[in-house]
Amino acid sequence: MDYFFFIDLLQSLTDGLLFGTTYALIGIGFTLIFGVMRKLNLAYGAASLAGTYIGLLAFLNLGAPPALVFVISALGAGVIGLVVYYCCFRFTPETVPMASLLASVGMLLFIDEVVVHLSHGMPYPYPSVFRDSVIEIGEVWVRGDLLFVFLMCVVAMGVLFWLLHRTPLGLATRAVSQQPRAAQLCGIDSARVNALTFVIAGVLGGVAGAMTAAAVGVLSPIIAMGLTVKGLIVVVIGGLGSIPGAIIGGLLVGAAENIFLLLRGVTERDIYVMLLLFLFLTLRPGGLFGAHAGRD
Amino acid sequence: MTLAKFLTVSTLALTVAAPALAEDKTISIAGFGAASGVVGIFGQNSGAAMSAAAEKINAEGGVTLADGSTAMIETTYYDDRCNAEEGISVLRRIATTDALVAVGPTCSNVAEPLFGILQAKVDDDGDTGLQFPVFTDVAIKGGLAGISEWVFRNTPSEAMMYDNLFAWIRETHPEAKTIYGGVEEDFAHSRATWYAVMKEAAIKHGFEVVGEAQWLLNDTNFSNQVRGMRRAEPDVVAISAHPFTTCGALREMARQKVEPEVLVGLTSSSSLETLSGCAAEAEGMIIPTSFAPVNDDAKFAADAVAAKGAALDLHSAAAWENFMILRDVINAAGIEGTADSRDADRRKIRDGLAALTEAEGLLGQNKRLPDGEAEKPYVFVGASDASWTVVHAPDS
Repeated sequence: MDYFFFIDLLQSLTDGLLFGTTYALIGIGFTLIFGVMRKLNLAYGAASLAGTYIGLLAFLNLGAPPALVFVISALGAGVIGLVVYYCCFRFTPETVPMASLLASVGMLLFIDEVVVHLSHGMPYPYPSVFRDSVIEIGEVWVRGDLLFVFLMCVVAMGVLFWLLHRTPLGLATRAVSQQPRAAQLCGIDSARVNALTFVIAGVLGGVAGAMTAAAVGVLSPIIAMGLTVKGLIVVVIGGLGSIPGAIIGGLLVGAAENIFLLLRGVTERDIYVMLLLFLFLTLRPGGLFGAHAGRD
Repeated sequence: MTLAKFLTVSTLALTVAAPALAEDKTISIAGFGAASGVVGIFGQNSGAAMSAAAEKINAEGGVTLADGSTAMIETTYYDDRCNAEEGISVLRRIATTDALVAVGPTCSNVAEPLFGILQAKVDDDGDTGLQFPVFTDVAIKGGLAGISEWVFRNTPSEAMMYDNLFAWIRETHPEAKTIYGGVEEDFAHSRATWYAVMKEAAIKHGFEVVGEAQWLLNDTNFSNQVRGMRRAEPDVVAISAHPFTTCGALREMARQKVEPEVLVGLTSSSSLETLSGCAAEAEGMIIPTSFAPVNDDAKFAADAVAAKGAALDLHSAAAWENFMILRDVINAAGIEGTADSRDADRRKIRDGLAALTEAEGLLGQNKRLPDGEAEKPYVFVGASDASWTVVHAPDS
């Protein structure tokens, strides 16, 4: 193996794993909502990006510092998540499972159009931290900003685990996720838990959107579709409903993307990532950590 | 007021107003392109430029018809979302309206199939293609006008501009030997411009291509691509990509400390988007463009479009120019402007455009070529302090 190739391989793997945490966060958002409601929210990526734009507004109009921009992005996405819940899930009939799915597709298109309309599709600079700092480990560079993205995502995941496993809200969420009717009989307000799950998932999506924009340094509506597609791939590979699966899936997709880019070039990169998705769908439909689905 | 008085006043008012109503003729010119979606800014700028140009023409008395009367220009902009199928559908719809000519589209990936639905050769009875004149302002990929004799373009010749740009770089940076290309692989214009235009021109002027990096329109990570660039240590880096990924790649280049002597960009990036996205990283980037507000006419047009909340750049400036060229063609062609003469009027406009060998542009005379393409005056602009400034005017 050529020396430079080996270094490139290591570098690609490092970049992919660091960037993969943003995919993991999006995957967690998808999986969290699915875990609680057994429904897919396809507007999730677009809502996350819209939240990121709210943070950008604070940056452009008020000159808010990066930390505040990230927080506003996350909170903005949380609020939009709540709006998505009330518009697409809260009042759609339980007996028509496709209703909420299609409503979320409609919401995805709507949010996307609103963002494009308001931003005129123009890219805007998004604040990033540690942009010029690089940790050199031999020939391999670890980008300071990507390391920050990685750490932020890890912190967000840590907070999520704390919320789910150490708070009454987490207990209620897990109860609704496992036995919604029994949870209601125990006095848990499942509608409130669902709404809060959308807010929490929205905040995670906002962090992912903010970190993606911070890593690129530019925010554009183009990012929305990537977030949605990558998030779905991550949950399929990790297993729909499994948070550890979403984390592993995110890192795997991030790494695979970069490795295939190095090995096969940009035009073939996505073919192999989609092939990976296809293989999981056919050979292991439950994903790495999800429940095994039965077949007819 | 009694009924008799009311009727008298009304009759008088109608008598006075009648000639004015008779003269209130309009000639409709349709605009179409991407006015929404991620490249919607191109169509929004073009639409504003068309509207501002129509207002100027109308303020100066409108256009003269065959019977000596005048008519006002009326314009409507249709959105094709940079989608080929929608573009074709939009043009078919425009052809059913009173519009005598259409200005558009924005995207080359729309233009190519769209021109294919038009009649290829005029008067070919065996060809049932649409007989409707299209005068393109934005879609810039070279050589597309040859698809149909109903197509005319007022887009700059990238081949000529980049050829002269690399000749100028060779002259002003004689020590520069190598070039590295960065290309947005999934967009028709950027791909064609690197492989068929920039690369060829660079080689022709003695630059050695030491590598190429490819990425896609919605990519967010450029570290792999820029790493190759860093290793090659090129003297010149040419980025053939649209603003979002141009900015992403430039930021990665800054991060990896890739500092070429000369940075060249894609024509479409000489716009506000690049500067709003990454002015600091784009500093010094040189781009050939067929528009810059360097004379009174150009400044007037830029101000008129800015007053509509849009920007005049090399693309939207062509939309403005197209309207001025069409005004002259309509004045000379003997357009009747009635519902019955619609098809004949469209044909007259086509023939008028085909007969042109020169046309007035904002930077000077545009040459009209026999294949429907144009050769336009141009300048080289460079990004400096968050604005585009002229660094060289080849003809001056």
